[in-house]
Amino acid sequence: MAGIARRAVFTGVGLITPVGSTPAAYWESLCAGRSGIRRISCVDPSELFSQIGGETPDFIPKKIISNKEHLKGLRLMARTVQMGLASSHLAFQNSGLELGKFDPERAGVEFGAGMIASELDDIGKGAQVSLEPSKDSVSLAVWGEKGLKEVPPLWMLKYLPNMPSCHTSITLDLRGPSNTITGSDAASLLALSEAYHILLRDGADLFFAGGAESKMNPLSLTRHNLFQELSRRNHEPETAVKPFDRDRDGSVLGEAAGCVVLEELSHAKARGARIDGELVGFASGVDCDRDGKGFALVIRRALKQAGIGPNDVDHVNAQGHGTVRGDRWEARAINDVFGTNTPVWSIKANIGASGAASSMVELIGSILALKHGQLPPTLNHVNPDPECPVWVHNRGLRPVTKPYAVKMSFTDAGQIAVAVIRKWEE
Amino acid sequence: MKHTRRVVITGMGAITPLGHTPKELYANQLEGKSGAGPTFRFDARTFPTKFSSQVKGFELGKYIRNPERFDKSGLNTKFALAAAKDALADAGLLDNPKVDRTMIGVYLGSGEGSHDFPNLTLSMALVTPADGYKVDTTGFFQHSMSLFDGAHEHEVEMHTTSGHVANEFDLRGPNYTCQTACAASGQALGEALELIRRGDADAMITGGSHSMIHPFGVTGFNLLTTLSQRNDDPTKASRPFDLNRDGFVLGEGAGMVVLEELEHAKKRGATIHAELVGYGTTADAYRVTDSHPEGRGAIKCIKLALENAGLKPTDIGYVNAHGTSTHVNDLAETIAIKNVFGEYAYKLPISSIKSMLGHLICAAGVVEMVTSVLTIRHGVLPPTINYETPDPECDLDYVPNVAREVKVDRILSNSFGFGGQNVSLIVSKYVA
Repeated sequence: MAGIARRAVFTGVGLITPVGSTPAAYWESLCAGRSGIRRISCVDPSELFSQIGGETPDFIPKKIISNKEHLKGLRLMARTVQMGLASSHLAFQNSGLELGKFDPERAGVEFGAGMIASELDDIGKGAQVSLEPSKDSVSLAVWGEKGLKEVPPLWMLKYLPNMPSCHTSITLDLRGPSNTITGSDAASLLALSEAYHILLRDGADLFFAGGAESKMNPLSLTRHNLFQELSRRNHEPETAVKPFDRDRDGSVLGEAAGCVVLEELSHAKARGARIDGELVGFASGVDCDRDGKGFALVIRRALKQAGIGPNDVDHVNAQGHGTVRGDRWEARAINDVFGTNTPVWSIKANIGASGAASSMVELIGSILALKHGQLPPTLNHVNPDPECPVWVHNRGLRPVTKPYAVKMSFTDAGQIAVAVIRKWEE
Repeated sequence: MKHTRRVVITGMGAITPLGHTPKELYANQLEGKSGAGPTFRFDARTFPTKFSSQVKGFELGKYIRNPERFDKSGLNTKFALAAAKDALADAGLLDNPKVDRTMIGVYLGSGEGSHDFPNLTLSMALVTPADGYKVDTTGFFQHSMSLFDGAHEHEVEMHTTSGHVANEFDLRGPNYTCQTACAASGQALGEALELIRRGDADAMITGGSHSMIHPFGVTGFNLLTTLSQRNDDPTKASRPFDLNRDGFVLGEGAGMVVLEELEHAKKRGATIHAELVGYGTTADAYRVTDSHPEGRGAIKCIKLALENAGLKPTDIGYVNAHGTSTHVNDLAETIAIKNVFGEYAYKLPISSIKSMLGHLICAAGVVEMVTSVLTIRHGVLPPTINYETPDPECDLDYVPNVAREVKVDRILSNSFGFGGQNVSLIVSKYVA
């Protein structure tokens, strides 16, 4: 590809989080050290191990999706899909883009998504009519004949993981590439990276890149309580998640959505867009040994792609789940690359772990931090853990002193994603 | 478009309803065999659709040691591990200490592990009143928290498959999983191609794996009325482009290819099966349930793939169609091919191997790519079987019923996903 290297900048933000659903409100909460973790209210959580989480009870989709044609579609979307779609529409509004004023064939969508849980009421009746008289099992034969007919005809469409991106492409007329990346907490960062590379290779002018997930439904709550390391500090929700702290005992579940407009620089400039930051490097890989070495290699590759070294980085925005082994693994990798010279920030204690939304919502935190020139504190990091040899920024607002930030995320299968962003300057 | 780094296919594996190796799969396709039969994965005798196209006689233990490690995993992961093992072995990359394993990645289009239907429905059935639809959630938690198996639930998550493949075969490079329904593994191949072109990996194992032949999968598709219900004659049910088609046949399986940067492959003396030369992807941005009636997204997608490969339409010798055997798809795809290829469309052989394999959903695109590579090598086009009554709206050459000897050097393979994601790939005979 001849000519000037293409660059990708952030020109729009859409957010739905437990601590604010506008960039300003979210930023204000992060600076104030506010936690959105409460006792779960969408259901009675008494039977769960972990009864606390980050909810967004004031999320009302039809306040955001205002077009009549699109409103009809909302009932065919699980809450996760509604949140994803709402975040892309908020990003659209925030970006100053106007339909008809950009080439739809050069505009794409990349979303991170996970397993979207069925609402119980959609299949409860079908299950109930199929219950064996002995009440110890459900009859597959009766389900096939009668139960199935009690399920809404378009049931499957509410829950397909690619629905946040599909509804985004349909409602915003985005006819360029459309992809959905799964990958637990790393999903939306991986989705962003693909959008980035497609922009760099001249496959599009702009992307809506995001992630959405709500764990605040009965099926997700059960499933994650059974396989995810979750805090049981049910009596102290706001201080339950303790990233890299000696007394950490797990994460908490949440729900959120985040979407950015990632746009090729000259395209953004030509339309006079507000530029919030720049994406300058990315790497992904797998740490098969889980010793932090493979993780560190991925971080180094991301820095190399950005053309910078560890000393150019203002802060590391960690996954910082507050899990015993996860934090230790991540801290070793950070230490390997940055030593203890670079402040580490985790937003998990503010908002909880919302799967496919997590890394995007957190990345937006760093975009805002570089833009405002201040690094908010990590909550609940009180007693450092010698097993986690990193410098966690845990008090007050720290002035941003360097132009770059690193956002990292990983899965429990060892998959790692690392992005490098830069404060916007000409 | 000229690419500085060329990408070739150096390994292939396939676990399908028509065989557990690419060779067997291709041979069965040339004979026009169908993989469809009564569903045995679960008792589907009372379901609207009682048949499917299933993988038979599969044992994970033939491929990896201690297969019980994956007892909690879904079939998607088991098929993926087996196909990946074969593809890596074919490429000479299994346990090969001479390559930098941090530069070999994984990109899968893969689906979910199978849901725990018995315990999920039981947990709800016990707490849903007979006269209503509202499930008592507290009661649900009481049952589900003791009935569900956490390890199994974790394996339902879609990204676990590419994680297992990476960890099992020590592949430390970029790791992605996409889920764009029927387009997923095609999209995985395309993006893996671009990953290698831009230098982020020397090689990628890429493809897809899926089985939706479980009670919830069939329930979902039956409710959408997209599955064929030709229960009296399963092998005749998948009939792409035929006037009397009544929906697709659900299949399952996995396919994997090793994509590798040309110089890297040459340096280590790898056998080169073919070259992946073009990739295009678009969205219909139309409706969740239907393809765009004029094939808007598909047309642009095919054109982008040609442009990406630096080819003109007449350079393509055969189209391996998406061809699902649904009215909307077959028509939109035919319209799109006519639009892009013009008069040449009538001379261009097109076939849908879904007529024989059924629809492997996330794994469909890669199995079609494996078939295309063998088609270039052997010069025989797989047929569209069950093509008996031409649909007047679909009037192209669909290679009806019988395999055809035609030497082809370049093949276009389409994958169009539910929700409007389109992918076109172009594979070429490798010429030094």
